[in-house]
Amino acid sequence: MDKLPSSSATDSSNPAQTSETIDDWQVLSPIAILYFTASIFKHLFGNLIYLIPALAVSYKSIIEHPFIWLPLILVAFSLLTLFAFVSFKVYRYRLTTDNIEIRSGIFSKKYLNLPFSRVQNVKIEQPIYYRLTGHACLQLDTAGSGKNEAKLVAIKLDFAQQLKKRIQSQVQNNTEDTNQENTPTNSKEQLGHSQDSTSTIETMLNTRKLSDLVIHGITSNRVWILLGGLAPFYDNIFDTVGDWLTTLGIDLTELFSLQTHSLLEVVLYALSLTMLVMFVLVGFSVIGAIISFYGYTLSKLDDKYIRRSGLFTKHEVSMGLSRLQMIIQKQDWLDVLLQRINLQFEQSNSFGKNHNLSATSSKIIVPSIKPHECQALIDDAYPNNALEALVYNNGFESISKRFILRNILFIFMPLWLITMIPAVMDGKFMISTFICALFLCLCGLVVLRWKRWGVARDQNFVYLRKGLIGIDYYCFPTYKLQQTQFKQNLLMKKRQLATVKFVLASGSLKVPMITEKLAYQLIDEGLYKVESVHKSWM
Amino acid sequence: MLENNFTNPTISIGQLPTILTLDTQSLSEQYAPLNRFINLAFILFVCVLGMVLYFQTFFGLPTGLLNSLPFFIWIAAVLGFLFTWLSYARDLVKSYSLRALDLHYTSGLFFRKVVSQPITRIQHIELKRGPIERKVGLATLQVFSAGGEMHTFQIPGLPVETAQQLRQYILQHKDVIKHG
Repeated sequence: MDKLPSSSATDSSNPAQTSETIDDWQVLSPIAILYFTASIFKHLFGNLIYLIPALAVSYKSIIEHPFIWLPLILVAFSLLTLFAFVSFKVYRYRLTTDNIEIRSGIFSKKYLNLPFSRVQNVKIEQPIYYRLTGHACLQLDTAGSGKNEAKLVAIKLDFAQQLKKRIQSQVQNNTEDTNQENTPTNSKEQLGHSQDSTSTIETMLNTRKLSDLVIHGITSNRVWILLGGLAPFYDNIFDTVGDWLTTLGIDLTELFSLQTHSLLEVVLYALSLTMLVMFVLVGFSVIGAIISFYGYTLSKLDDKYIRRSGLFTKHEVSMGLSRLQMIIQKQDWLDVLLQRINLQFEQSNSFGKNHNLSATSSKIIVPSIKPHECQALIDDAYPNNALEALVYNNGFESISKRFILRNILFIFMPLWLITMIPAVMDGKFMISTFICALFLCLCGLVVLRWKRWGVARDQNFVYLRKGLIGIDYYCFPTYKLQQTQFKQNLLMKKRQLATVKFVLASGSLKVPMITEKLAYQLIDEGLYKVESVHKSWM
Repeated sequence: MLENNFTNPTISIGQLPTILTLDTQSLSEQYAPLNRFINLAFILFVCVLGMVLYFQTFFGLPTGLLNSLPFFIWIAAVLGFLFTWLSYARDLVKSYSLRALDLHYTSGLFFRKVVSQPITRIQHIELKRGPIERKVGLATLQVFSAGGEMHTFQIPGLPVETAQQLRQYILQHKDVIKHG
């Protein structure tokens, strides 16, 4: 460890010497400086978010003293560029036939050596500033922790593609070897098959048009994330909006005062105002969807799914079919109205720690597709699945009706009583009717939740249905199970009910309050499948 | 090349081994009393701390706090005692069982829970021993799968020898060797 910094320091100071001592360590293209600047900036900005409320408070006093902050920003900016330049200078990578080595870091030196056979995921990312020069980032994920990932920051796009092919063929050879150990039968056939398949071309499975993305933007509730991020500014926003409206001749306080207007009018105003706000927010959501999913294509090469998308930064994520843990078919209430479905191909959580649905995550989502396209994709991934038939025949076993009773009696009823008592005592009729209405709504939602929740299974798969107003379907091969949990409290035992939790590499799924017998069957069959099939979950 | 000992008999659901009839092993006899002792010692410590605060003359406390302090000490003592009693009862019903191909851990007094971990899916194992556990010769076995840290399978309060035997059994298991 001690030697590394000194050696890299020498080779960055006099490049003539490096060519003698280390012949095949390669330097990135200078365009990488841009990437480093952007990434440092992104990193800094991520931390600055916490400072924003403080800045917002002292906003006025900061604005009044430009001679303090202007040089500060300039110094910070030049430091940033210097940092980016130095990190570009010390970055070296070396490729051998079957592994990759990367040396990087200014203060804390990092040396990474990754054999290709350990690579789980290959991602190609092309930020907008790389577009002109035709460079790209190649990201290699390993099965280990999310931190230990290798990223080749600026290489030519075609070289990246080439490298990707090379790495993936290596991984494939490796898995083929283990497959041969596991299933000695028809190994020859498999080998022949793999030789055939490496030469096959990519088949396009799905593309998304701009109109689809607009629909996706409208239906996906990413808006709320934005709302959360804006929380510290609410006061300012409301003030400025209020000012702006008064200049237009609209006085909010007068509009909403019950003295001058009837209740109906006020309600109508409030409704139209929220509609307006929602409209703006939906606009943002649509823009977000277009940015992350522009030019969406999902294609299949051999047994690999490849997703490409992105307006500014182009992402390419590929996932082997064997890595696929679970398929989720999601339909929110708006999706139900528009007859669209979001399909998610989930893989192990440890690859990408981020759970957001953005383009960067390593899971593959197909936004807002039509039902028949969705079914085609599911059938393509899991040929023997019976999801369609189950949905059509309503073959799911529903959970116990006591689910409704439990949630209303033990959760919402006490809350309702606690809030009702003071309201009634004070004789506030309006508030108590409002609380009652809310309570009834919540009860209705509980009933809906109960109605949606169901489970089904067949020879190879477990299917789950859940949701509130929209319906989500989950489908996973039984042998992908990692762990099972059986839960039962005394009351449930009396009624012979139980809760089952399936733990998969992509997350856990709960089925509450099914009959005890079914719960035992689900677990016993699951364990039997896992232990008898001898298939790897990866 | 066909494997000779390959068989694939049909199994009906009724014939499957079920987790309903697990042959459970209880934890070490020292485990529950030890936990009870630790809990009681902690409550005693909190109460003594409160009393020291109440009777000391070095610095004055706000009168409101001073008046309510005995009340708080009593609450801490009563609640702590109840909690200790409950967790002792809970410790007594914890058990585990090992089958040829999976591990199970049963716990819970009112909320019963059976966690089942197939050995094929185990990624790595840890034996954890805190200072007190080391003193008494106990160990906690942690088993990690790809299900994430939230779903770490763990058996507390095992005698060290048992824990080591379990670990050895799992590590030498043919499923782990093949798929690990």
